[in-house]
Amino acid sequence: MSDRARVVGGVLVPHTPYFTVKLAAEPESADARCFAAVRGQLEELRPDVIVAFDCDHLNTFFLDNLPTFAVAAVNRFGGPNDHSPGLERRVVPSHRGLGEAIHERGVDAGFDLALVQSLEVDHSIMVPLHFLTPDHEVPLVPVFVNGLVPPLPTAGRAHALGRAVGQIVRAYPEDLRVAVMATGSINLEVGGPRVSEGELWGAPDPAWMDHVVERLRAGEVTRLVEEATAEKLASVGNVAGELLCLLAMLGAIGDARPDFLEPQPYFGHAYGTWLLGEGG
Amino acid sequence: MSTYGVNSVGRRVVHDPAFRELLRADPEAALDELELTDEERAALMAGDVTTLYRLGAHEYLLVSIALHGALGLDPKLFSERIRAAGPRRARPA
Repeated sequence: MSDRARVVGGVLVPHTPYFTVKLAAEPESADARCFAAVRGQLEELRPDVIVAFDCDHLNTFFLDNLPTFAVAAVNRFGGPNDHSPGLERRVVPSHRGLGEAIHERGVDAGFDLALVQSLEVDHSIMVPLHFLTPDHEVPLVPVFVNGLVPPLPTAGRAHALGRAVGQIVRAYPEDLRVAVMATGSINLEVGGPRVSEGELWGAPDPAWMDHVVERLRAGEVTRLVEEATAEKLASVGNVAGELLCLLAMLGAIGDARPDFLEPQPYFGHAYGTWLLGEGG
Repeated sequence: MSTYGVNSVGRRVVHDPAFRELLRADPEAALDELELTDEERAALMAGDVTTLYRLGAHEYLLVSIALHGALGLDPKLFSERIRAAGPRRARPA
């Protein structure tokens, strides 16, 4: 027993909408194998709660009211609320107290998180859960980072938000094992001019992907934060801002080196786990 | 980001089934509900995502129009047209 929550690890997965159908048909594919590997390691972490850094795709929020950072303080939420082939709407439990703590203590710490007390989420959360916690039994607290609509928060700001969230979790007065999830791509354009011929997506900058993976393996998160400027992210692809969720997750877990990291260069995304044992 | 009216087409085609059906069946009537410039309206009616992108519409919302088969767009045609747009500044006006 502990009188405080603990951060027990982090995971990184993509949320490619059609993977729900594609990977069911290709159980031996590299992506299916990676999702299974991350799921297995996440299960070994035995999380009581998952805190997820997520870039909504203009489905939970829209341009009438678009937060740079937001956190859900709810008992449960539903999703997906967008077109996600192969997914039925599900209800996911959350942890309202932890969400409230992240809101209150986050604002106290200088991070002006918008408060969300009712929401539906899109594929960016429901696809990862489909593969990682298919019974939807683990409560999940979504923390939203605007990674899609410029101007994005800076990489330094996203990373610092993650660090603050990690501190808030560790001060939370309940015996909880908390895993931190980041979901998104690293090198990806969706629906913009750099899509591949005949496709609605492309992976325009494989060299950036290689570079990010190298930095992650070396634990050089500070240097990656410095390199991930607004100009750099915009040049990589219109969804490359999802890296901000990964940087926030790394901030929350203390910039550890990954225990498992496997890029899938063709798709421009990567899978990873960071296992902190009991003392994170 | 400006062009709220254009972006709201991409939003509503996903989240508003009645609007989606109207946009497919009678696009002029569907677009009448929105505040659009003449240039935006003409580009929408033509499925001209090259121009819409240049005007500052968010590509992630434009692609939803193609995924739902509205305004004469399908994924292949969308891909061809958006590739012709060329990169835009990181922060559209």
